[in-house]
Amino acid sequence: MIDISHLAKKFKVENPKKLSEQERLDPRLNGKYFHSVQDVSLHCHGGEVLGLLGPNGAGKTTTLRMLSTAIKPDAGTVTIGGVDVLNRPVEARKKIGFLSGATGLYGRLTGRENIAYFGQLHGMSATAIEKRIDELSTMLDLESFLDRRCEHFSTGMKQKTAIARAVVHEPQVVILDEPTTGLDIMAAQTVLDFIRTLKDQGVPVIFSTHHLEEVSELCDRVSVINHGTTAFNDSFETFQSLAPGSLNRAFMTALEGVQ
Amino acid sequence: MWLVFFKEVKELLRDRKTLFFMVALPILVFPLIFGVVAYFSTKAVQQAESKVLEYVLVGGEYAPMLSEALANSDDFSLVKLPEGSDVTQWIKEGRADFALQVPDSYGDDVLTDGQVTLTLYLNDAGLNLVQRRLNAIVDKLSQQNQQQAFLALNLDEKQQIALMNPIVIDKVDVADKRENWGEKIGGFVPYLIFMLCLQGAMIPATDLGAGEKERGTLETLLISPIERHKLVLGKFLTIALAGVTSALVTVCSMAVWGIVLSQGMAIQLVAEFMSAISLLDFILIFFMLIPVVAIFSSLLLSLSIYARSFKEAQGYMTPIFMFTVVPVIMAMLPGVELKGGWAWVPLTNVALAIKELIKGTMDYVQLVAIFGSTALIAALLIGFCVHWFNKEKVLFR
Repeated sequence: MIDISHLAKKFKVENPKKLSEQERLDPRLNGKYFHSVQDVSLHCHGGEVLGLLGPNGAGKTTTLRMLSTAIKPDAGTVTIGGVDVLNRPVEARKKIGFLSGATGLYGRLTGRENIAYFGQLHGMSATAIEKRIDELSTMLDLESFLDRRCEHFSTGMKQKTAIARAVVHEPQVVILDEPTTGLDIMAAQTVLDFIRTLKDQGVPVIFSTHHLEEVSELCDRVSVINHGTTAFNDSFETFQSLAPGSLNRAFMTALEGVQ
Repeated sequence: MWLVFFKEVKELLRDRKTLFFMVALPILVFPLIFGVVAYFSTKAVQQAESKVLEYVLVGGEYAPMLSEALANSDDFSLVKLPEGSDVTQWIKEGRADFALQVPDSYGDDVLTDGQVTLTLYLNDAGLNLVQRRLNAIVDKLSQQNQQQAFLALNLDEKQQIALMNPIVIDKVDVADKRENWGEKIGGFVPYLIFMLCLQGAMIPATDLGAGEKERGTLETLLISPIERHKLVLGKFLTIALAGVTSALVTVCSMAVWGIVLSQGMAIQLVAEFMSAISLLDFILIFFMLIPVVAIFSSLLLSLSIYARSFKEAQGYMTPIFMFTVVPVIMAMLPGVELKGGWAWVPLTNVALAIKELIKGTMDYVQLVAIFGSTALIAALLIGFCVHWFNKEKVLFR
């Protein structure tokens, strides 16, 4: 399981005068610092899928980046399986499979080489990598294009390869930042099916999204972030009951919770 | 570290654009440029030599022997100057290749008529061999007249020679051929090598830093469980390898094609010159380049990772070329030698040392200062690069 409590991150604003009118109205701007994430807490047990919701610029990506150890939080703790991982980033990285929003692949390498490279970076042996790639390619339908160069891939092929790469080392937690954005319906469905497979395997999955139907299809828990603060963090049923009959309205109600 | 290195090299080798700039360009384009320039210049000279020159002779009646010699020559053809037209204007308009004016005081007897001045009107702006070809005829006459005067004065051969050049300076050059040539081309070689190293390292450096950012692969790479310094070193080595390879390929291709193209006498000279430089000197040149390439690579990688995009990276890198030129130009200045303070100035000292090695006058003790200062700066820059790679502000701009 993964447990995050009171995570916070601020960024220095180089030139406050350059900010637009709207940016200056953001309550998170405080003097020279922009408090992108102020207080985010959530937790996700094994076999659970948590949907991270929030408007654009709410701090979802920053939160997920902190989880992935790409950036260091200013305050708060992250524990995976009861182990505090922020102080040991290299160890944490082995436990986490992370897919960033605007992820890319090395275009001049084939899909297989891309996945294998990250397997190697995770210290896996050649045979283990080969076995794992076979497994993943069946799961994600990669066979037809795995040995072609990535630069010629379609968006869906790229995203599926990127997901395979993110989980090549069999992580204990999987974090996906908007994994279905920009994909066609079939490719998006493959991704959702893969999340379900992970869930069945007992791996906790956190994914951010703007599609509420994905949330209703998959999620056990819902967490809503607004202005860098957790506005809602509970089970999907509770989320649904905020406004029976409309998930959109439930989301709006959850947002108002913090304001 | 090696994992990153091998993957980056593999990717680099699959990039046709980079390969083209690193390998094909120096191998094919340089000799092509040499060849084209050589072809056209020989052709132009040949044309100028074989062309029949049209001339105007003013006052030809005063010098019958000269006008006869000119008329008999196949290289010249006489053009009549119309009455009352200006010679200068005539030549300027290109109606004749040259005009020769003979003064009325002309005479073949040197002792009575004194020195004769012929005035040559020509357009000297373009390539022409008028004077050289004219001299061939005039000199013959001049010598004839000289001989006649000597005979009239009754001088023996020794006196004749002494009269023409009473005092002669005999120059003895103590610099051997190698030192002489080394001084001439030694300043240019490091300039070329530095620029080529930089050029070769630039394209992969842009790709390995800013390119990863632009493609969105950087974030994933940063969160893989590899220590940051290993990541930096892997990338750094790739860039350095590309820089060295590119420089080596170019220098080798230039050497090979230079020998192939320069035929006859020139090949003797080149071969002699090359064989004078010992293998040790070549190895030393190569080893001195390693810290220089390290400086370039770490600098380029730092800039590249700071840049948000390919375009931005290229913008940041262009000034490096200018900054590199300065220390190399300093090494070419007269009076700047590999001594004292200059031995500690980075890049300048390596440029100077390469020159000294080519000249064969290297003071090997100075190697300590050169390696010391260059390696120190390279190490500092790599350290800075690692530090840079740990900064969120740089990575997530």
